[in-house]
Amino acid sequence: MISPFQERVQAALGDRNLHVALDRATAQLGGRQSMALSTLENSDLVRDVARRAKMEILSDLGGNLKRFEGQLLANGAQVHWAEDGRQANRIILEIAKQRGLKRVVKGKSMATEETHLNAALAKAGLEVVETDLGEYIVQLADSRPSHIILPIAHMTREDVGRLMEQRIGVPYSDDPRTLAGYAREKLRDAFLRADLGITGANFGVVQTGTICLVTNEGNGRMVTTLPRVHVVVMGIEKLVPTMADLDLFLKILARSATGQKLTAYTTLIRGPKKPDEESGPEELHVVLLDNGRSRILAGETAEILGCIRCGACLNACPIYKNIGGHAYGDTYPGPIGAIVTPGLRGLRDWNELPGASTLCGACREVCPVRLDIPRMLLSLRKDCVEQLPNPLGLRIGMKVYGMFASRPALYRRLAKLGRWFLRALAEEGWVKKKVPGLAAGWMRVRDLKAPAAMTFQELWRARKGGG
Amino acid sequence: MSEARATILARLRDAQRTARLPGERPGTPRSLEFASRSPEECLERFQRELTALGVETYLEASAADVRNRVMTLVAGRRLLSWDPELLPYQLASVLTSFIILGRNTREEQAAAEIGLTGCDAAIAETGSLVLLSGKGKSRAVSLLPATHVAVVRRGDLYFSMGEFFRKSGERLAESAGCTIITGPSRTADIELSLTLGVHGPGRVVVVIGP
Amino acid sequence: MQERPKKVQLFHTCLINEVYPEVGMSVVRVLERLGIEVEVPLEQTCCGQPAYNAGFQADARTAARHTISVLQRTEGPIVIPSGSCADMVVHQYEVLFYGDEEWLAKAHGVAQRCHEFSQFLVDVLGMTGIGAHVEAKIAYHPSCHLLRGLGVRDQPKALLRAVEGVELVEFREQEECCGFGGMFSVKNPEISGSMMDRKLAAVEGSAADRLVSCDLGCLMHLAGGLNRRRSSLKTQHLAQVLDEGLR
Repeated sequence: MISPFQERVQAALGDRNLHVALDRATAQLGGRQSMALSTLENSDLVRDVARRAKMEILSDLGGNLKRFEGQLLANGAQVHWAEDGRQANRIILEIAKQRGLKRVVKGKSMATEETHLNAALAKAGLEVVETDLGEYIVQLADSRPSHIILPIAHMTREDVGRLMEQRIGVPYSDDPRTLAGYAREKLRDAFLRADLGITGANFGVVQTGTICLVTNEGNGRMVTTLPRVHVVVMGIEKLVPTMADLDLFLKILARSATGQKLTAYTTLIRGPKKPDEESGPEELHVVLLDNGRSRILAGETAEILGCIRCGACLNACPIYKNIGGHAYGDTYPGPIGAIVTPGLRGLRDWNELPGASTLCGACREVCPVRLDIPRMLLSLRKDCVEQLPNPLGLRIGMKVYGMFASRPALYRRLAKLGRWFLRALAEEGWVKKKVPGLAAGWMRVRDLKAPAAMTFQELWRARKGGG
Repeated sequence: MSEARATILARLRDAQRTARLPGERPGTPRSLEFASRSPEECLERFQRELTALGVETYLEASAADVRNRVMTLVAGRRLLSWDPELLPYQLASVLTSFIILGRNTREEQAAAEIGLTGCDAAIAETGSLVLLSGKGKSRAVSLLPATHVAVVRRGDLYFSMGEFFRKSGERLAESAGCTIITGPSRTADIELSLTLGVHGPGRVVVVIGP
Repeated sequence: MQERPKKVQLFHTCLINEVYPEVGMSVVRVLERLGIEVEVPLEQTCCGQPAYNAGFQADARTAARHTISVLQRTEGPIVIPSGSCADMVVHQYEVLFYGDEEWLAKAHGVAQRCHEFSQFLVDVLGMTGIGAHVEAKIAYHPSCHLLRGLGVRDQPKALLRAVEGVELVEFREQEECCGFGGMFSVKNPEISGSMMDRKLAAVEGSAADRLVSCDLGCLMHLAGGLNRRRSSLKTQHLAQVLDEGLR
């Protein structure tokens, strides 16, 4: 009986094309990221201060949200609060309906992936176009992004070429420039005709009510400039205290995400357009999304809310490199996903994610705000043991382990039994016969070394006694 | 929706009691001083960063030179511009033939080949242009056309973004939005292969005046 | 630097005790050759890592309390020839005993005395060259808990480089995890195997004739893979290389 997660993992491991694509993407990205961060002056200090700023926000998240809201309202924005994804989608649909808005263009937003907004909009008869190139391609494929920064990390250029040929009737090409050109043409029209623009937010500044968007293509600017209504969907944890703090985060986000000093466009939004302006949205709505974040805040993984969604942990993670983003099964893949998904969606259905890690620590090392991901994965594993049913055998085994680990004489005897058993199944130092349980899992992919005839302590005692 | 607000705030209040938030490294300061440099260093650094970004850069010694340079760049092309009165170096005086403005229709704006703007500030450390939105400074100018020509006054150059933020609080507060432009529009979504000029301008030209 | 210790306690780890006793003997011999008297607290069992990693923190605490008590009855530096076990005692015990003032203090007291084997030789004894001689091309695999958990990056390489006749060979993705990860190796064997394949392909693609590490978990996993491929690549713990070189 194999779980859905294991099914996805097996499919991914056997997918040669996926590995070609992943290798092309992550190898380069990881290298650039570490180069860029290491060339930042005082990078260690910047990271420490940035982390501190995030923890300051989280230590009074409610208070900070209220202050942020106050500023937003003073700036002329409208503020909505959404307990969960469904509520967020309803709010947006209501905004659209009340104003007769029908044509939506979207900037990249992981929060709206979480709430499955596009499906809700489409169901209500609105025309929705994803405008970030990677997201646009994902939309064409009826699929989901597999990486936080590079939505199509799982696709080769040939895959993209074939997809575009099929879905939008353009001549096949595997030249990325040509393919991007096709998208530019198709999307430009959508931008000019749209009446509702929806984006996420990279940061919200409490001090000023500023919303900050960090983009490269220009689609983010199109979406926040041309349609007459702009809706921002923002996770409640995406705050930073001041503009000075924003500066720090801008220093580390692009470097960690793509290896750039800054992305091509850093957009700071301070409200809808002024009455005498010729461009810009007439209305700005900010939807503050909880959707499980308050639950995460209440526990031992609260720290994960400091994540700035740079994706560096994905590029560093050897598990991600081997199984890709879709195997994680939900909006956020990689190390961040292994913690956030159980937090947002509940541990019961997602209990395998925290275990799918060797705790190698590469993620913690590259995280610009130094999130202690391994610690949080271990904490979730503890929660799984304490809150979910465990296989009886495992529970007994661990109890026995605990009992015997504190009683040396018994421990020796049990270990001796285990050694004897495995050695009986062994030839030339390697276990040959099939063994049930844990050892079977081991032997599926490698040989199992048989234990020694005499333990170290026995050798040691013999040496001392004899010598 | 104020019910949702009350619910969320209540959840957060409760959560705060058990939230596990590790302390910071002892000695971590609350904030960092922003970097600042002399005007000469700013200028040198600005040009270096722009070049690294693939931005064409022209350094002009006089207002007249700036005007000549801009005319050369936009001659014979469909031009979308900020309100000429808002452009520096009396550029308004040389932009006499038909130009498309923010108050023209969207279709007309979208047909422009070049967008001409001034800059409200520039950041040397990263080679960035800062454009505040406002009347006569339509955001579409630096966005829709395939080429963006930006005229920067040397005196508007800051060394770091932190410095700009610190010294421009009022200006930022008065404006509905601010776009910080660092190089041409780009994507690397397909196998990390770089393509310039996706939705924003693929060609950016900066003319620095005295 | 402090006064050079004359005696150490060896926390040999359960893997060495049950599966690789010869590595334990190599550790002893190397230390004795360096003039250090070795004592083995015989009541030690296990640091608690297997239970901790699997999420069974209460059971891990039982093992940890026993370990701390056994080690508290001794004095002086504690040498641990395993990056993951050393990291467990030095860093994870304070997570296990979070909120328990009494045991936190005890754990801290023990943690302060602990050193991973290569860390002990280089940082405490101040030695890199110990007069060893081995002809070998060695690929060194830095285990994750050693490298990123304890921050031990250069010491093992320095020790290996100082062995006459040894050539340290670099290989692709050298600092990447090998895929062992304790329980991970049996709960996610396919991913574990895939990571192992990558690591072994990189090592086999280099000029190395030996694969050396400071962690027996990694070595057991990688050696198991090499055996299945019928590879002639030899695997050794760092202590074994030094011991061989001193004979």
